Amino acid sequence: MSPTGLIPLGGALQAYAAWVNTTWLHFFAINYKWVWATMETLHFLGLGLMVGTIGVLDLRLLGFLKGLPVRSVQKLVPWGIGAFVLNTLTGIVFLAGAPYQYLYNLAFQMKVIFMLAAGVNVFVFYSGTWPVTRTIGAGQTAPWAARIAGAVSLFLWIGVMYWGRMLTFFRPPFVVPPK
Amino acid sequence: MPLLASLEHSAFGTWVREAPTIWAYATILFLHTVGLGFVVGANVAIDLRILGVARDMPLAPMRKLFPWMWAGFIVNALSGVALLIADATTKLGNPVFGVKMAFIALGVVNMAWSKPKVVLDPMPVNAKRVAVVSLILWIGATTAGRLMGYLGPVSGLE
Repeated sequence: MSPTGLIPLGGALQAYAAWVNTTWLHFFAINYKWVWATMETLHFLGLGLMVGTIGVLDLRLLGFLKGLPVRSVQKLVPWGIGAFVLNTLTGIVFLAGAPYQYLYNLAFQMKVIFMLAAGVNVFVFYSGTWPVTRTIGAGQTAPWAARIAGAVSLFLWIGVMYWGRMLTFFRPPFVVPPK
Repeated sequence: MPLLASLEHSAFGTWVREAPTIWAYATILFLHTVGLGFVVGANVAIDLRILGVARDMPLAPMRKLFPWMWAGFIVNALSGVALLIADATTKLGNPVFGVKMAFIALGVVNMAWSKPKVVLDPMPVNAKRVAVVSLILWIGATTAGRLMGYLGPVSGLE
């Protein structure tokens, strides 16, 4: 068993993964075929909802939907946060079902890094330019800082989709995926 | 089904399925996912607005989302054809694939025909019906697409 991935993960994490494999959530995730299929379905519905909310705000900031006041588009964001929570929860079920497959997977590690970077981008955006950007009305151009935040967000979330899809292809050789 | 088998074993189908490069199957699958995000996401954004989310947002300027949903749709039609050719006998033998295509066909009718007539200010009275139908169809298409990996004949290719 030779762990692969960008970040070498040591013994503590192996012990953690071994523990995960004894939890009820692990057995729940892999013992019923419908659980995995249902979680996958919810994960992809959450993906679509995130693009339709966070992605739409990003497009507005970039100037593609200038007819929409930023303050109004922001009202879609709570739905995006809901979708993010849904995808985090369903993602945790996958992780509990096959911890080794994910923890030692380069694509999973990159996916988590991209999500953390997206979190930093959200923090910088709302703690920085937001008080000005929220006043941007129909027809007005968002400040540069907001346009950059929108571009970074789109890049990172499309990256999250990329690494999510690459999970299968970077699967460590020592685990059998649940189907 | 010799036709489907020959499709699947064509040079193109074999390349998509078996080329030892990240740029074949993996990348096409990624494009299919991003396309899903845009076609479903742009539709859902308009549907949510029609159904009362962000009520103060003008609806008509959301027409600018149509090119994004069509771009997503075209990416998915092309990537979908490639994925289908690579796995033709299994996918065309799976009734869930037929269900997915039915949802998508109706979804396209909704976004090409019904929705452009209701993304207006003031909002027409039938807008909510169009939005509810759109939500049902795109949720149905996404669900059927995912379930193709679990129900009916499954090749192991996603």
